[in-house]
Amino acid sequence: MGSPLDRRRSTARIERTQSALSYAILVTFVLFVVFPFYWMIVTSFKGETQMRSLVSMFWPSPFVLENYQQLLGRTEFVAWYGNSVVVSVSSTLLATAIGTLGAYALARLKFLGRAFMASTVLITYLVPPSILFIPLYAQIRNLGLADSLTGLIAAYPSFTVPFVTWLLMGYFESIPVELEESAMIDGATRFGAFRRVILPLAAPGLLASALYAFTQAWNEFLYALVFITNVKLRTLPVGLSTFITGDVYGWGYLMAGAVLTTLPVIAAYIYLQKYMVEGLTAGSVKG
Amino acid sequence: MASISPLPSGERVRARGGSFPLTGEVATPRPRAGLEAALRRVLGPDYRMGFLFVTPIVVLVLALVAYPFGYAVYLSMTRKYVGMPPVWVGLENYVRLTHDGFFQRAVVNSFTFTFGSVVIKTVLGMGMALVLTSRIRFRSFWTGVLLIPWVAPTVVSALNFLWIYDYSLGVLNYLLVNVFGVLHQGVGWLSEPGTAMSSVIGVNVWRGFPFFGISFLAGMKAIPGELYEAAAVDGATVVQRFRHVTLPGIRNIVMIVLLLSTIWTFNDFTIIYILTKGGPGGATQVLPVLTYEIAFGAQRLGEAIAVALYMLPAMALVIIVLSNYMRKSRVR
Repeated sequence: MGSPLDRRRSTARIERTQSALSYAILVTFVLFVVFPFYWMIVTSFKGETQMRSLVSMFWPSPFVLENYQQLLGRTEFVAWYGNSVVVSVSSTLLATAIGTLGAYALARLKFLGRAFMASTVLITYLVPPSILFIPLYAQIRNLGLADSLTGLIAAYPSFTVPFVTWLLMGYFESIPVELEESAMIDGATRFGAFRRVILPLAAPGLLASALYAFTQAWNEFLYALVFITNVKLRTLPVGLSTFITGDVYGWGYLMAGAVLTTLPVIAAYIYLQKYMVEGLTAGSVKG
Repeated sequence: MASISPLPSGERVRARGGSFPLTGEVATPRPRAGLEAALRRVLGPDYRMGFLFVTPIVVLVLALVAYPFGYAVYLSMTRKYVGMPPVWVGLENYVRLTHDGFFQRAVVNSFTFTFGSVVIKTVLGMGMALVLTSRIRFRSFWTGVLLIPWVAPTVVSALNFLWIYDYSLGVLNYLLVNVFGVLHQGVGWLSEPGTAMSSVIGVNVWRGFPFFGISFLAGMKAIPGELYEAAAVDGATVVQRFRHVTLPGIRNIVMIVLLLSTIWTFNDFTIIYILTKGGPGGATQVLPVLTYEIAFGAQRLGEAIAVALYMLPAMALVIIVLSNYMRKSRVR
């Protein structure tokens, strides 16, 4: 240790090495994360001859749209897309509505059984689908809902609602009680305070949890695989998985389908990243 | 018509009376108000709105989780084929599984898969969080990019890796053989028993580590800066600061994420089903995939559910410990 100037200079050097190291690790992480997506997109634009020959591995040459044409024209992909949209949107609306009311009650209201229900919601959120899928299937079939989108819409709340409720409980708890109390002193009813004061304040949380519910439903595979046998009624994940043929030709339109399946969730995520990251960390794991 | 009928306003008057219990109690105690007060005392002050708002969740939990779960426990103690009525056999399914070599192997594989994935995800997640707390530009952009595998559909990710791992035309073999020249010949990543497990763990890690990273990051951000300053004044090195300030500060979050991911990974069906279906020769067979195959391949539902429930006591323990952690960190 020499003069203060020396020390400052060596601190600066340490900081520069640290930041270089940070960037090196960051680049490694980003490459690791991004490469599979890059590869998916590149593959989807490669032609049949290029696929078989290992030339220009990392860029389509020639750049072709035949995979997308085949996907949209000669498979049931469009129907599957519609099914996924219907199932995901309805179960998201359902989950958000049920979850919002329940979360508010569990976070704010005082009534018998509140603590018990709050624990039940959390435990339900943690019960894995791999335990429930067979009895749920039996139940859905007994109700005559097997092989229908309604069956999926009825089953998906089993995982979306506990998640949304748990996430939103965190949000509601973070809103100061005083806001509600002052609204009620001003003459608002409890419900009025909930609707006009709490809901607007929780809007980012509602948005985040709705998006997560949508993503979960959009990505769901096991129930959709088990409940649906009719080819036309498949959702995207199951439909895509049936494209695995072991044949070289398959990969082009499979990757085209993968691109189009990923697009909506990634687009929503990019657009609302701030809320989703905050929602995830504020709601599921806080403290 | 209904809006000008006197009934609703009459209702409101009574509801108002309920919210001002003092006036009701001082005056002659009308039976209704007394009942209402008693109900409030027993059921809690907000019981009406509370019960109303919670009812949908109660119905849902009963119909979609509690009932199926009870039915599953019952079915696991029967001999049940698809389309046939169940026959009670007691614990026979469980006893038979205990002595079944294929099942034992699936248990071991499930533990290997879970343990391997969770450990690597913890290390990578910690790295990600540390990088994202260090001084870099466009931090929130990079955070967003690194979180993408977590939002992308699992099926898509699994299919991407199926294609990347492909023996003859996959890009991984191309990179290792033609670009870097590390190997002379490609590897059948998913078709050789020696590499299949590591390959599926790799996919689970790729998809799951961002969640670890983002959660650890949130924990690190919550540590007060003064603690680091105090440590720096005391002459603590970077490593010491990490061990004595960062780690204790995020201990709760680390526990929650570890346990959460243990449950998720142990029950991960999609990745292994898409990549290997448990193969080659059972080398990656795990309990969820085995459950599915016994149920819908062999059509033996009772036995399949016994496979799914076999680890339930252990799982229940993890779930209870975890939910306690999550509730505790919520209360703060």
